[in-house]
Amino acid sequence: MKSGIRNQIRELRAGREMTQQDLADRVGVTRQTVIAMEQDKYSPSLETAFKVAIALGVTLEQCFRYEPNGKRA
Amino acid sequence: MATLSYREKSLYASLAAEFVVYGPYFFLHQQNSVNNVAGVIVGIIALQSVLQAIIALVTRNRVTDERDHLIELRGYRAGYLTIATLMVVGLGMLWFHATMGHIHLENRQAGLHFLSVFFGMLIIADIVKTATQIVSYRRAL
Repeated sequence: MKSGIRNQIRELRAGREMTQQDLADRVGVTRQTVIAMEQDKYSPSLETAFKVAIALGVTLEQCFRYEPNGKRA
Repeated sequence: MATLSYREKSLYASLAAEFVVYGPYFFLHQQNSVNNVAGVIVGIIALQSVLQAIIALVTRNRVTDERDHLIELRGYRAGYLTIATLMVVGLGMLWFHATMGHIHLENRQAGLHFLSVFFGMLIIADIVKTATQIVSYRRAL
């Protein structure tokens, strides 16, 4: 089930040549959680969202956005 | 198995252990003694300990995170709803059959029968809990 929270994790991560495991290690989550976030199947807590943004070197707004109708932009 | 997280491997092992131990107990009709119930409980603890130790040894990354905790809670909720439903249905059937005179509660065998039924409810709830967690992982929530 996809939520209304969308993210740019995959694109930002690819731009930094970072693997899913690298990001998972930096954030302190499992690789499966990174995969679920990238597929928009899991919306992380605010704390984890901040950690992801920090690990990718961007602001929270650059990494995550809310789509009220639940569709990708 | 390489794509599974530590928690997922652990859940598959739990489900396998539950079927290996509880399956023969119920399907081979061994519910005729309190000792068998005790034996099954000891068996599941022993098998779970061995399997979880093996998984811990072969899994390098044993990180658990907020998603694991969320899925765990979802499993416990499904298990609770299952056992609550089974309890209500079971007590209703007990009341019905006792009222109709189908069972005699003063009978010694009745106690063993109830032990087996309630033990069965507990096991079904446990299996539902584990299966719900596995499905949640597969559906990525």
